[in-house]
Amino acid sequence: MVASPQSDSAIRFEVEGRTVTAPTGLSIIQAVWEAGITLVEGIGCLGQGACGSCRVFVRRSDESEVRLMLACETLAEDGMQVSFAHFIEPQLRQRYQLEDFQDTWSAVRQVAETFPEAAECRHCGGCDESCPRDISVEEGVKLAAGGKVQKAGALFDECIMCNLCTLACPEYIAPNHLAQLCRRASSALLMRPANLMQRLTELERGELVIEDAALEENADPGGGGPSS
Amino acid sequence: MKVGIPREEAWANFQGAGPRDAPPRIEDVEGLLDEHHPDRDPASVVDLPVGVNAGDRCQAHVAALLQSNALIDEVDLAGVPVTETDVLIIGSGGAGCAAALEAGEAGARVLMATKLRLGDSNTVMAEGGIQAAVGRDDSPQAHYEDSLKAGHHAAERQLVAQMVMDGPPSIRWLIQQGMKFDQEGESPFDDLVLKRPGGASAPRILSYGDFTGLEMMRVLREAVRNHPAIEVWRSAPVVELLSDERGHCVGAVIYDVSRRELKLVRASAVILATGGTGRLHLNGFPTSNHFGATGDGLVMAYRLGAKLRELDSFQYHPTGLASPSHLVGALVSEAARSAGAHLLNGLGHRFVDELLPRDVVSAAIIRECAEGRGVITGTDSYGVFLDTPGLEREHPGTLAGFGALRHLAEKCGGDPAEVPFLVYPTLHYQNGGIVIDGNGATTVPGLFSAGESSGGVHGRNRLMGNALLEIISFGRRAGREAATFRQRPRAKKLTIEHVHQRQRELMRAGLDLENRAPLLFPGYANFRFRDHLAAQL
Repeated sequence: MVASPQSDSAIRFEVEGRTVTAPTGLSIIQAVWEAGITLVEGIGCLGQGACGSCRVFVRRSDESEVRLMLACETLAEDGMQVSFAHFIEPQLRQRYQLEDFQDTWSAVRQVAETFPEAAECRHCGGCDESCPRDISVEEGVKLAAGGKVQKAGALFDECIMCNLCTLACPEYIAPNHLAQLCRRASSALLMRPANLMQRLTELERGELVIEDAALEENADPGGGGPSS
Repeated sequence: MKVGIPREEAWANFQGAGPRDAPPRIEDVEGLLDEHHPDRDPASVVDLPVGVNAGDRCQAHVAALLQSNALIDEVDLAGVPVTETDVLIIGSGGAGCAAALEAGEAGARVLMATKLRLGDSNTVMAEGGIQAAVGRDDSPQAHYEDSLKAGHHAAERQLVAQMVMDGPPSIRWLIQQGMKFDQEGESPFDDLVLKRPGGASAPRILSYGDFTGLEMMRVLREAVRNHPAIEVWRSAPVVELLSDERGHCVGAVIYDVSRRELKLVRASAVILATGGTGRLHLNGFPTSNHFGATGDGLVMAYRLGAKLRELDSFQYHPTGLASPSHLVGALVSEAARSAGAHLLNGLGHRFVDELLPRDVVSAAIIRECAEGRGVITGTDSYGVFLDTPGLEREHPGTLAGFGALRHLAEKCGGDPAEVPFLVYPTLHYQNGGIVIDGNGATTVPGLFSAGESSGGVHGRNRLMGNALLEIISFGRRAGREAATFRQRPRAKKLTIEHVHQRQRELMRAGLDLENRAPLLFPGYANFRFRDHLAAQL
């Protein structure tokens, strides 16, 4: 069951230059399927907008503007022109291991050294234009390059890692990946919540065990979790 | 033919009704479930005819896939190149990534094959949060007891005990990977915010806004992408496992969807992290699951001889969208009901205590619609109101905190403070799965399972927040254990002898050899493996 179409009426629309028909009341993806087309790549969460996989370029019949939309949550309409923005895996230059970021005195410098391109931003605004979540990408790059790692990361709170800013950047900055490093380093280096720390100490001291007569005697009742 | 209340009339009832009366108490919960829960429909359950679980009860659609022939045969594998690795991980959601990182840390070479892109999974869609007993008035013991009770005492106690003890260390590990959680204040030392899930005796849910899974997945994805020992193949579903002369798992056959080519992988150990079965649309239900949830791991593990459990137990989430038609099945988070939103039938009346266990609330919604008190949403489709306007009236400002819910409402074309959602149960989670031990080892040597593909952790019903804990706890353990298998002698021969054995069993049982699985993609995506492989690019 894909969805129950609203009525027997049909729409005609264009997919990658091919005219097809489908019932009304379907998303663009569902309509493409209903039209008999095999489509299995570029599809992910199907309706939550959390994965950014099914980006399509859409032009409605009464508009000249081409919009970038998610095909899973956009209603297919009569006269629409649709083409898929195929997912391109960017080949990133930057590689790092978060465990190498151990010391807060050197971490900021390490961020800059891992993403040296960030200092070369030419402020073209291409990244801001491309972001489907309206994140101030360029501002984030500037903050990160200036050592304001936590603030830079915070700007990318709702980033879905669709990589559009990375593909748009002429300086190969990879803004969303730079922001992820900022976020990850901030968390790994700084976040030490009191209630968690106390519970971990109790567990390490062996003060907490699971008591249940039904648990088999020969088994390890926990506590031996993968060490961190 | 069912009947229901036309939308306009129901809308008038919704607006016209005064203060809502308390819902009637459900006297006979078992009777309600027997009558209306999809799991209890006798027509939806069969006895498995072949394999290690022969004679066990199994959901009929799942059974059809378990008693199937393989997609490939010997002839397809001639001349196919072999790639060598230590640990092959199938699936790249939270469990797969946790396993890959841990196996890589243990020194193994890791190959991760994923059907869609790295991280496309149900994990990324998880809104609620992750359970871990870190509260001062909470304990692993309480987490243990709550989990067993919620699962109707059908879970494997040893697995649950281990998982709850893994809770706080799992949160530490996630923070070390760079994940964020909501804290009580701005200081890095402030307590983690704790929320109470339905069915828990203490606040125990840790979250990040209402997109905990997205935060988790983008951190794990980045860690995997940067790890020197991990290679990722995307658009690369596994179509069959490989066995040796002892029947151990020694690798897999992988299909490169973009190039339309088969590849063989020889591995010392294989970890299935293939997730669940929502996209099978069991019993005709819509689903909240992502595109890839077609139970591939279950099917391939069973063919190789792995034992499964609770194959007749699935979770139907009460509040999937019933309208508009193109978003049917998408999830409205339980957070709305937790905050006090009521469910109203087409007459504008409450009919169930909204915070009862998910299976009971779902059955109650199905009963309202079956008995003609649902709102007509389409041809033979019905729903009930989730009263978000009432919630906002009672507790002003509540909806502002629900970003994902507001995003969904926007797509439904309304302001949730003005217009209620129309909801109906949606297929959400596979409670059972592949039998595992504490390290994720299945009953087949060399084959592991982690995450939703596994069974035994949740019994017959899962507590909110235990899925995200399970994928981290068991994913890491499976990764570490699988990494040790590289010390063992490597298989000399890669075979599909287990496929031939199953073919003989199917023939003896008089079953159709042309029924082939795994499905890889839902039927409506128009993907036919043979045609796809044969078509020239």
